[in-house]
Amino acid sequence: MNAFLKKEWMEWNRTGRSWILMLVFVLFGIMNPALAKLTPWLMEALSDSLADTGLVTTAVQVDAMTSWAQFYKNIPIGLIIFILIVSGNFTAEYEKGTLIPVITKGLSRRSVLAAKAIFLYGSWTVLYAVCFGITYGYNAYFWDNGIAGNLFFAAAYTWVFGIWTVALLIFFSAVSKSSSQVLLGTGGAALGVYLLSVFPKLDAFLPARLLRGLDLLQRAKSPGDYHANIAVAGLMVLLCMVLSVGCFDRKQL
Amino acid sequence: MKMLSLSHVAKNFGGKQVLRDVSFSVPEHTVFGFVGQNGAGKTTAMKMILGLLTVNSGEITVDGMPVRYGNTPTNRFIGYLPDVPEFYPYMTPSEYLRFCGEISGMPAKETKSRCEELLRLVGLEKEKHRIKGFSRGMKQRLGVAQALFGRPKLLICDEPTSALDPAGRKELLDILTAAKEETTVLFSTHILSDVEHICDEMAFLHEGKIALKGSLDEVRKLKKASAVTVEMEYPEDTKALRQAFPFLKAAGKNSLLLEEAERLPELLHWIADRRYPVMRIERQEADLEDLFMEVVGK
Repeated sequence: MNAFLKKEWMEWNRTGRSWILMLVFVLFGIMNPALAKLTPWLMEALSDSLADTGLVTTAVQVDAMTSWAQFYKNIPIGLIIFILIVSGNFTAEYEKGTLIPVITKGLSRRSVLAAKAIFLYGSWTVLYAVCFGITYGYNAYFWDNGIAGNLFFAAAYTWVFGIWTVALLIFFSAVSKSSSQVLLGTGGAALGVYLLSVFPKLDAFLPARLLRGLDLLQRAKSPGDYHANIAVAGLMVLLCMVLSVGCFDRKQL
Repeated sequence: MKMLSLSHVAKNFGGKQVLRDVSFSVPEHTVFGFVGQNGAGKTTAMKMILGLLTVNSGEITVDGMPVRYGNTPTNRFIGYLPDVPEFYPYMTPSEYLRFCGEISGMPAKETKSRCEELLRLVGLEKEKHRIKGFSRGMKQRLGVAQALFGRPKLLICDEPTSALDPAGRKELLDILTAAKEETTVLFSTHILSDVEHICDEMAFLHEGKIALKGSLDEVRKLKKASAVTVEMEYPEDTKALRQAFPFLKAAGKNSLLLEEAERLPELLHWIADRRYPVMRIERQEADLEDLFMEVVGK
């Protein structure tokens, strides 16, 4: 399995996938505080033209909270880009037949699946941590992170949502033949859960709620309110992995 | 000792019956030719031996162990060269072979020496570029190297010569012959001359069944004399020849086909008597199709 992990690492680097993703998440990390920092200046620059339309601007107060609000707005987009870029991670190998020499050398299918899963979970974790770390650093430098409550709980919950999405991606990668099917499945399932969350009763335990970190930062919710959501996400990740192993073992390559 | 045996293997894709009843076995240290027309089911049979396809009925064993679909422990004894081998395009050949060594759990030192040895064998030792830019022939060579890498007991090659130029083809056949010392080779082809060059035994696959199997000598006995093409220099000579021997068939401009090769001396005698200039007299290689049609009685 180590050999296959090494191969994944080489693939990500040499195809430029890792660099693109790193760039995106670093950019998002910088953009959150930068946008917050620029807001007053932007408002000032626009105040004259806004005054013409009858809108009166007053001095805007920005702090770490403005930047964190940006962070929770941007991270779903980061996750979507991540899913788009890695959606072909399995299927490209099925389509080209590159797994056949590997499997026929006696490497077990489970090792292949495990290596790929570890790599996907790992890269989401690293990229997310980089984005969070950069925003955290700038916020601490410009303002004070102390204003945001439950900062790390909120961050961890959003990370769990990402893990849940990656688990869906792995499951759909194990059952489908092309990357468009993977995207359709993962996107459809995520969207479905998101839509179901409109109903408060369902929202109480669906993973989509984990994305709303701002509620925690503003202390509108406490970390304990999310136990059911975490449990459901965890169970679904487990279920996805069990099903993936079963399907991948029987998959026709 | 049988390295590989198939007994009453059948396979259908949906309603299409590809293999009906395939039984044959390959003894150790032989080169076994698996012959059949395009679409006869050779690749399907090979993929079932590798556990890449399910078997509808019958049994396959490799080195005495039954083959299982999906996770296939018997693959540890097998080296496989697919018909169109595909490798990770961002690796160089030596990186790919090192990767092969690592996934099969070979010690690093042995991997390194095996890697150099095989790259030399297939003539890719100076190739430092990534696989991305390789021609099909070069991929085929790398495919041979990776198939032989783990010193497999059974080497399975799916139409290994079809993408190669004549020189490459000869080299590949030499490699397979040399491999016989260490391993057992099963290779599929539709080129009869390849079989004649290197095989000890062969099996013909036709309409989902083994139409003929046996050692090369046994099969050769079934082959009738081949046809001969005679090409004359002038059209009028061709015409005269055809009038004298009405059983000759026209086969292009100034060319005549003699199907009953045993009458060739008679024909030559006639031409020599009249001193007609001849462009070419060629014995036609009995291609697979001919032999095949004879075997299956069509």
